[in-house]
Amino acid sequence: MIPLLKKIFLVDLFQGLWVTFRNQHPKHIYTEQYPIQRPKVAERYRGAPRLNINPDNGETLCISCDLCAKACPENLIVVTSVRNEQTKRKDLTTFTYDTSRCMFCGLCEDACPVDALELTQDFELASYTREGLIWDRQMLEEGPKPTQYKA
Amino acid sequence: MAAEPWDDDLTRALAQQFGNRVERYATYLGQKFLVAEMAAVRDIIEFLKLEAEFDYLVDLTAVDYPNRPKRFEVVYILYSFARNERVRIKCSVAESERPLSVACVHATADWMEREVFDMFGIEFAEHPDLKRLLMPDDWQGFPLRRDVSILAMDNRWVKENLGIESGQ
Amino acid sequence: MAQTFLDSNELVLNMGPQHPSTHGVLRVILKLDGERVNGTECVVGYLHRGVEKIAENRTYQMFAPYVDRMDYVASISNGLGYVLAVEKLINVETTPRAQVVRVILTELNRIASHLLWLGTHALDVGAITPLFYTLREREEILKIFENYCGARLTTHAFRIGGLQYELYEGFEREVIAFCDWFMPKVAEYEELLTNNRIWRDRLVGVGILNAADCKRYGVTGPVLRAAGVKWDIRKALPYSGYEKYEFDIPVGTNADTYDRYLVRMEEMRQSIRIVRQAVGAIPEGPIMAKVPKVLKPPVGEAYVSIEAPKGELGYFIVSDGSINPYRLRVRPPSLINLQALDQMVKGALVADVVAIIGTLDIVLGEIDR
Ligand code: SF4
Ligand code: SF4
Repeated sequence: MIPLLKKIFLVDLFQGLWVTFRNQHPKHIYTEQYPIQRPKVAERYRGAPRLNINPDNGETLCISCDLCAKACPENLIVVTSVRNEQTKRKDLTTFTYDTSRCMFCGLCEDACPVDALELTQDFELASYTREGLIWDRQMLEEGPKPTQYKA
Repeated sequence: MAAEPWDDDLTRALAQQFGNRVERYATYLGQKFLVAEMAAVRDIIEFLKLEAEFDYLVDLTAVDYPNRPKRFEVVYILYSFARNERVRIKCSVAESERPLSVACVHATADWMEREVFDMFGIEFAEHPDLKRLLMPDDWQGFPLRRDVSILAMDNRWVKENLGIESGQ
Repeated sequence: MAQTFLDSNELVLNMGPQHPSTHGVLRVILKLDGERVNGTECVVGYLHRGVEKIAENRTYQMFAPYVDRMDYVASISNGLGYVLAVEKLINVETTPRAQVVRVILTELNRIASHLLWLGTHALDVGAITPLFYTLREREEILKIFENYCGARLTTHAFRIGGLQYELYEGFEREVIAFCDWFMPKVAEYEELLTNNRIWRDRLVGVGILNAADCKRYGVTGPVLRAAGVKWDIRKALPYSGYEKYEFDIPVGTNADTYDRYLVRMEEMRQSIRIVRQAVGAIPEGPIMAKVPKVLKPPVGEAYVSIEAPKGELGYFIVSDGSINPYRLRVRPPSLINLQALDQMVKGALVADVVAIIGTLDIVLGEIDR
């Protein structure tokens, strides 16, 4: 008898609708209005790579040890350097990073002994060309500059 | 750590049934395995299923050793729900040989054997429908053989389909 | 006679590879007699990336990020299976602290995977609302992952021998807050679906796969448990310290799609139970065991499997003593579960095929690898 009445009065339907109704409140909104409202990503976010420079004198922190290139599973980092006769150390000449093949696994940043290479919180990496995805040293030091939209 | 011999009721039952068709019983890192001759494997798996309740074929795969006289090693992993035990069966297969399909014992072997055929080119005799599983039907060669290089595969594909040098 | 004019040939219908209900790029060739399905043939491999071949060309550490890309819905489970397999091969056990953190993250990932399954499965069957709610809850889990390791889906959270990242400030608090907030949500889904008449009509008695057939086809995970087999690798062959936690294995009785739904719902609750126990007992200590920088496991082979959200996920690794795996085989639960599709849809209606593919909870990234 009761199941029949439940059927007639569509109890299960109203039960479900009540759940939907409870979730109508604006505090349940989860959608981000992306280009206008920019999400705040986590501190440890693994996004665009950056080659850190020493803030005091503007020199690169990278010591051209090539460890990042060796650690990368995709083999996409190319580091070249020349030997400086005065300081007896290697000076970085070029640093190429192919973001189109990168999977942002973080192995290169783990391998870097001086924290020169870092994956940062920038997540907008799109480019109009394939070549634009291959970042050189300058690009890596400056970071991407995505267009910012204002509401 | 080297493999240690494995000896219990099960190996004795197997030894009684199959004698010297099983070459070796051993455990490595606590995992039991036995090495048998190719022709006996289906009987062993059937025996284990019927007599020892190894009713679940976990995995079937192959390993390629191009330098051995019998090039491939086919590996069967069996599990028994009742005994809560896993056993690995290995057998060597030469390139020209065709091991018997176990799809009639464990239905799940159907696709696994197809995958092994697809990747290594080992043909299983009496398989219901042996054809490629993951690679396209018109693919040339068997990708998981050790002598196939990724780069060569890549370059060939780029050349054939795009008509350019891949430059990798 | 009239009947001879009627052509009663079988109709062959291609479902996929672009059909939304195939959850990716699965192609199912259906042989139809009117609305009834007489047989199927699955065509897989559209997403094949050759993961096993890649492994042969990478070192053990380098290969770890690639496993995330198989079952991308449950990447942490994949990672756990892989690191456990390599740790077995080099005979190293990770630290207690790393073990507990691994369990927490893996269980959260199981919930995330089940949530996505629930949402998409309900969507396939015709209920749109649950998808929005489940994605909302999943978002919270992904935020925890992002805070912990910096990535949401392809996490690469574990390393061979332990963890790369120390817990962040407030991790425990966030996880407990999630547990508290999530439990009523499960009840909410149940309110929406469990007694819903359409849901029941579409699922009860559909796609039955009994225990004997499950074993024949090697089907594992919730599908096997819904058939009444109380088997879970976390209990049967515990790994990563699962023997320390108290939890139940939910089982079904009817082995149909509806029971699989109930089993997975209960699994989410049990996962929360495990997470709660684990969060309360994170030991202090190092997060990385002693592992050489250049990893050369001794010659030998090992098979290690874990209970992934979809079933038994196994790694069979053969080492030849060099820095690269000689052979790495992944036993993908989705691929092997999918094999039972033919048995399950025989005699069902076309619309049921959608429900049955949904209930198998397949991820094509893992099937094709
Ligand atoms: S994040 Fe990973 S794939 Fe990308 S450059 Fe670093 S190591 Fe290579
Ligand atoms: S590992 Fe660091 S220091 Fe070494 S080459 Fe790479 S970025 Fe430079």
